[in-house]
Amino acid sequence: MTEVSLLSLVKSYGKSIALKGISLSVGHGEFVSLLGPSGCGKSTTLKCIAGFEDISDGKILFDNTDISRRLPEQRDIGMVFQSYALFPHMTVAQNLAFGLEMRRVPKSEIATRVARAMEMVQLTPYAERFPKALSGGQQQRVALARALVIEPAILLLDEPLANLDAKLRDEMRGFIRDLQKRVGITTIYVTHDQGEAMTMSDRVVVMFDGEIAQAAPPEEVYNHPASERVARFVGNANILDLAVTGKDAAGSDLALPGGGALRVDSPAPWANGRLRVMARPEQIALTDPGAGHLGGEISKRYFSGGHVEYHVDTQCGPLVVLGPTTQTVAEGQTVALAFDPARLWPIPDPKGPAQ
Amino acid sequence: MRLATPLLTFIRVSVYVFLLAPIVIVVLASLNAGNFLTFPPQGLSLRWFWTFLQNDVFIDAIIYSAVLALCATAVSLVIGTMAALYFVRHATREAEVVRVGMLLPLILPEILTAIALLFFFYEIGIGTEHQIALFTGHVLMTLPFVFLNVTTSLQGRDESVELAARTLGASRYTAFRRVTLPLIAPGLATGGIFAFIISFDTFGISFILKGAGSAPLPIQLYDYLRFNFTPEAAAVSTVSILLTLVLVTVSDLVFGRE
Repeated sequence: MTEVSLLSLVKSYGKSIALKGISLSVGHGEFVSLLGPSGCGKSTTLKCIAGFEDISDGKILFDNTDISRRLPEQRDIGMVFQSYALFPHMTVAQNLAFGLEMRRVPKSEIATRVARAMEMVQLTPYAERFPKALSGGQQQRVALARALVIEPAILLLDEPLANLDAKLRDEMRGFIRDLQKRVGITTIYVTHDQGEAMTMSDRVVVMFDGEIAQAAPPEEVYNHPASERVARFVGNANILDLAVTGKDAAGSDLALPGGGALRVDSPAPWANGRLRVMARPEQIALTDPGAGHLGGEISKRYFSGGHVEYHVDTQCGPLVVLGPTTQTVAEGQTVALAFDPARLWPIPDPKGPAQ
Repeated sequence: MRLATPLLTFIRVSVYVFLLAPIVIVVLASLNAGNFLTFPPQGLSLRWFWTFLQNDVFIDAIIYSAVLALCATAVSLVIGTMAALYFVRHATREAEVVRVGMLLPLILPEILTAIALLFFFYEIGIGTEHQIALFTGHVLMTLPFVFLNVTTSLQGRDESVELAARTLGASRYTAFRRVTLPLIAPGLATGGIFAFIISFDTFGISFILKGAGSAPLPIQLYDYLRFNFTPEAAAVSTVSILLTLVLVTVSDLVFGRE
């Protein structure tokens, strides 16, 4: 098992800077996702780790060894590509054997290791097939087995589920996660799908514009986003901009339009004497008008099987609420919203805490 | 539709007749028993093939042309493949320049390329001796065909396959040999066959750049026909048509299954 450290990684293409000094440490056997919109630098980061791109500045360490200047073939990595990148002119078994042949593993050992890897991804009956005779999910598993059979120091995955249909994608999420835990390999996973990043990772690294916005466990990123942008990118976020009426060491009192009041645990209001707080849709309850903290009117109602999504017009702007299917509220109905003060998250001031 | 179908069939047949008639006539003319290159033939005979086989001038010309075409094709395959790899995988802003540059011998009239090369080789003091000029001309004429075919087969291939080979421990060269090369083999084969046929067949370049001594087949045929008008010329043509057919058929059997 290997530890990966990125030290102030910079990558520039002429004048445009793709990575503005990324520092990140991935622990032994940890599963870390790089999450962000396209162009945020997550794929560039992965290419730098794999050695497909030269870095402009900084260092990449595998277990304290600087590998920044090594060629891809000298880095001891296993990689799974979005397109799977299987060798179309080789059978499944030959695809798996390729990396071992490159490492000059004896023939008899290659056979046993390939057989074991194929068993691991449940593809033993397909050993002599060519990739194009396999389904997308099967090709994906071959790609995984080919990356793992060489027992690399780290595993890199570049949007490996992007080309699969929704149902298979859910299945493969669990499959990759279980396999990674079983093998115990340090893994870096690139995705733009926040659901994927949340369900699979030990830690999610949210990236915007070539910088890390937040690196934390999924629950932390979801419940306590470091910025409004992270809050909006990871899941659905309601942001309320509220006036601070009082504060002490333990928290702040907030006033809602229409007379409601809330108290949140907060270090300090923003410089303008207000606080922006985030409430996830499922953390808001719909109650009868008059009760709750904030009045509103249902503008849209979407039933989606497991729950109902309401769009509510309030004096704090349009908010999204997820309600249970047991509760029936019609479009146009007047309601009140009740917040759970313990779960409201005051978003940190990007300009630093007020004095 | 009812009216269009016979018309279409007529056009279709006409195209084939237009394309194949010259070949059929040459082959029939080569079987002529008479003393002159006429059509229809006056009696059937293989005597002109026999004459041809005993004529060292033509045998030498065929061998010369074949060797020249093989060498030109080999060099074209190497340069054309390298250029195609650069064009598809690495070129950015200069891509269009590279492409047009590689296709120039195809775009320019052959005679212009030939005259330019002639001036160039005299200017640098080599002239048409040593067959360097002729060989260079043939490589130039065949290069676009290799470039086009290899480019096409590379463009259909995902670069990440090569990158995958690298992560699995293959060097740049090994990745090319074990992964890229087998995948573009059909393009190389087609490009190579085109190159061979173009080189074997080209007249203008050979006419202007040939040195003293042995000459390629088209030039030898031309020389021969200026003073003789026997069916032997048709026999020579028939043999070279057969050679081409064999080449195309074999390559189709080997690589056509892709």
